Amino acid sequence: MMTYIVFILSIVFVMSFVGFATKPSPIYGGLVLIISGGIGCAIVLNFGGSFLGLMVFLIYLGGMLVVFGYTTAMATEQYPEVWVSNKAVLAAFITGLLSELLTACYILKDDEVEEVLKFNGMGDWVIYDTGDSGFFSEEAMGIAALYSYGTWLVVVTGWSLLIGVLVIMEVTRGN
Amino acid sequence: MKPPILIIIMATIMTGTMIVMLSSHWLLIWIGFEMNMLAIIPILMKKYNPRAMEASTKYFLTQATASMLLMMGVTINLLYSGQWVVSKISNPIASIMMTTALTMKLGLSPFHFWVPEVTQGITLMSGMILLTWQKIAPMSILYQISPSINTNLLMLMALTSVLVGGWGGLNQTQLRKIMAYSSIAHMGWMAAIITYNPTMMVLNLTLYILMTLSTFMLFMLNSSTTTLSLSHMWNKFPLITSMILILMLSLGGLPPLSGFIPKWMIIQELTKNNMIIIPTLMAITALLNLYFYLRLTYSTALTMFPSTNNMKMKWQFEYTKKATLLPPLIITSTMLLPLTPMLSVLD
Repeated sequence: MMTYIVFILSIVFVMSFVGFATKPSPIYGGLVLIISGGIGCAIVLNFGGSFLGLMVFLIYLGGMLVVFGYTTAMATEQYPEVWVSNKAVLAAFITGLLSELLTACYILKDDEVEEVLKFNGMGDWVIYDTGDSGFFSEEAMGIAALYSYGTWLVVVTGWSLLIGVLVIMEVTRGN
Repeated sequence: MKPPILIIIMATIMTGTMIVMLSSHWLLIWIGFEMNMLAIIPILMKKYNPRAMEASTKYFLTQATASMLLMMGVTINLLYSGQWVVSKISNPIASIMMTTALTMKLGLSPFHFWVPEVTQGITLMSGMILLTWQKIAPMSILYQISPSINTNLLMLMALTSVLVGGWGGLNQTQLRKIMAYSSIAHMGWMAAIITYNPTMMVLNLTLYILMTLSTFMLFMLNSSTTTLSLSHMWNKFPLITSMILILMLSLGGLPPLSGFIPKWMIIQELTKNNMIIIPTLMAITALLNLYFYLRLTYSTALTMFPSTNNMKMKWQFEYTKKATLLPPLIITSTMLLPLTPMLSVLD
């Protein structure tokens, strides 16, 4: 099973995305987002990106989602909407899950599946060794390069985050 | 909005477009688009009424979807070519996805539905920024990938945009919606020529931006958003009324004015590539555009609508609204035609 773990995790990833895309109340959406964030972290970990995966857990789940959860808990209503409470949400949820399962069966069916991207059966979701990657993990070298050669990228992303905060403040000001 | 915040947000809008135009890495281009979109949302929501909020939500949703499509195209290109540099895109699927994403950002048909609704829900100044500055970034990327664009797709989008822009604007009296349909039609003209001669697209974009800036500034002087309020302008600003006359004729593409330059050049480039029917169709449908511009000039400058007598005698106050750079804008949007032989420097 460990050779197919990325494939299985990708399937569960999409299914948990279906879980919040069907728009239950935000508190339940946040719950599924935590699960999908954790699974995304696991996928990144399986490709050898231990630092980045743990960053997802720490910053995304542990920082941003916690704040989101607190604000949603302050603003939630008495009987929030679950997946089974509303026929429309339930129908969308089941449709999403069935589509995902059908896609998975289609990929598993034969060895050569050509959709938009050429999926050669299971090969692209099985972890492979890229071969000559040297003694240092590529991902750690990438992060190091971000802070040395990629200073402009850090400046741009930092500025975008600041603008994100300012824009949210302006939009929710309301007077 | 507090002035420091307004300055930061305006600077970010410009920075976003600059990053899109000046980057050679697809990731930075996507970041530039997102920065631009994020920063323009509070500009669109300056007035906190539900109409403006609905307009900014629609803008955000369409632009975010287009950015996602662009990212998907970039990823597919990365998968097949192995590099992030903006160059010839060899995979047709990636090219089609990028073209679709960029035309969604521009408001070309069949993705034009958001343009009139968003433009109508926001103030005149925000509409001006939306219809002029926001077109620069996607156009620059289309220019950079122009050798790889599927001509059939873009020509179909361009032709339907010119048709939609012409027919859609016919039944409008709200000035912002008229300018939105005018934008759709002009984007159609620009998209038609990208795969043949991208320089003409830049020419059309420049002249379109000049004319649209002038038009919006003239509308903002009177704070008029409907044809009816334009028709009362003859008493307050008779000179502005004459300016609107020639500006509308220039937007419609009539010969002695500079709005004719891009249409002439585009038809010339298309016929050089053995296309006869498409430029004919585009020129004929540009007449629809001309009709509603003419209707605006008719009601503004050529006719006096029935009004009560005390509307005809207004106090002549000295107006204090600042029209930035209005005289040069009007002159460049109407009198540049004799300079067309300067285009021979391109050879």
